[in-house]
Amino acid sequence: MKILIADDSRVMRQIVIRTLRQAGFDDHEIVEAEDGADALAKVGSEKPDLVLSDWNMPNMTGIECLQALRSSGSSVPFGFVTSEGSPEMREKAANAGALFLIAKPFNEDTFQEALSGVIA
Amino acid sequence: MTTIDTGERRRGAESRPVITELIDGATIESIAQDAWIALVGEEEVLVPLPGEPVTDPVSSWVDVVGPWTGSVVLTTGRRTAEELTRALLQEHSPEVLEDEDVADAFGEIANVVGGNVKAALPGSSGLSLPDVGEAPAPRNPDDVCRVDLLWRGETVSISVQGALPALPAH
Repeated sequence: MKILIADDSRVMRQIVIRTLRQAGFDDHEIVEAEDGADALAKVGSEKPDLVLSDWNMPNMTGIECLQALRSSGSSVPFGFVTSEGSPEMREKAANAGALFLIAKPFNEDTFQEALSGVIA
Repeated sequence: MTTIDTGERRRGAESRPVITELIDGATIESIAQDAWIALVGEEEVLVPLPGEPVTDPVSSWVDVVGPWTGSVVLTTGRRTAEELTRALLQEHSPEVLEDEDVADAFGEIANVVGGNVKAALPGSSGLSLPDVGEAPAPRNPDDVCRVDLLWRGETVSISVQGALPALPAH
């Protein structure tokens, strides 16, 4: 399975990769994107099976990326990993077609809970 | 020119809550502790005690814009910010840290703490991308909620501070 991780923070991308490994999802190919625009391009070029995206990013936010993907007909499974976990943000994410929203700070249990039905 | 004071401006300012009406130090401390455990390490404890004044300070912050507008500012010494960066990077920590690494890691901690402070505030607000450097000055001493903490014996302070009244335009 190929997982695209989009976050403008390189440190946070590494923490997400580490947490995926700790949660037992360690046998997957990882592709990184540094903002929403990069993620949008890489969904096209890399054909990931899942996108894990930050919300607040320069150039294109995560929600704009998701909306652009859905408008272009892409149904790639998409989840947020963001510091903004309010009910309002969760509703916005779900309405735009996100499968889940993992709020930062997270741990391997949070990842297992959100991803166990998504990652084979 | 004579200006008639209708009181509207004052009422506008008075209708905005100050941060101490919306969040307390214990909540900020709890948010920070959760962020530390998840990002810095499971054993990493923040002790709610003021430490030595920080020399060579560096701050990271995010701005919250909404019913309450201001910044969530973390301040510590540069060496402590570097130690935090190494803790976040773990095995990916380079021998020599670049300023960019410290800005990224310390900024991300502010982002996580700030995002959770924002979520604890009433109403709908926006959150900026993190910034790192010299902290924005508090604008109104009544609109500040500050906690002083110790991490590995070093001072880390978190100031949730209002951005109003705005600085005069130049």
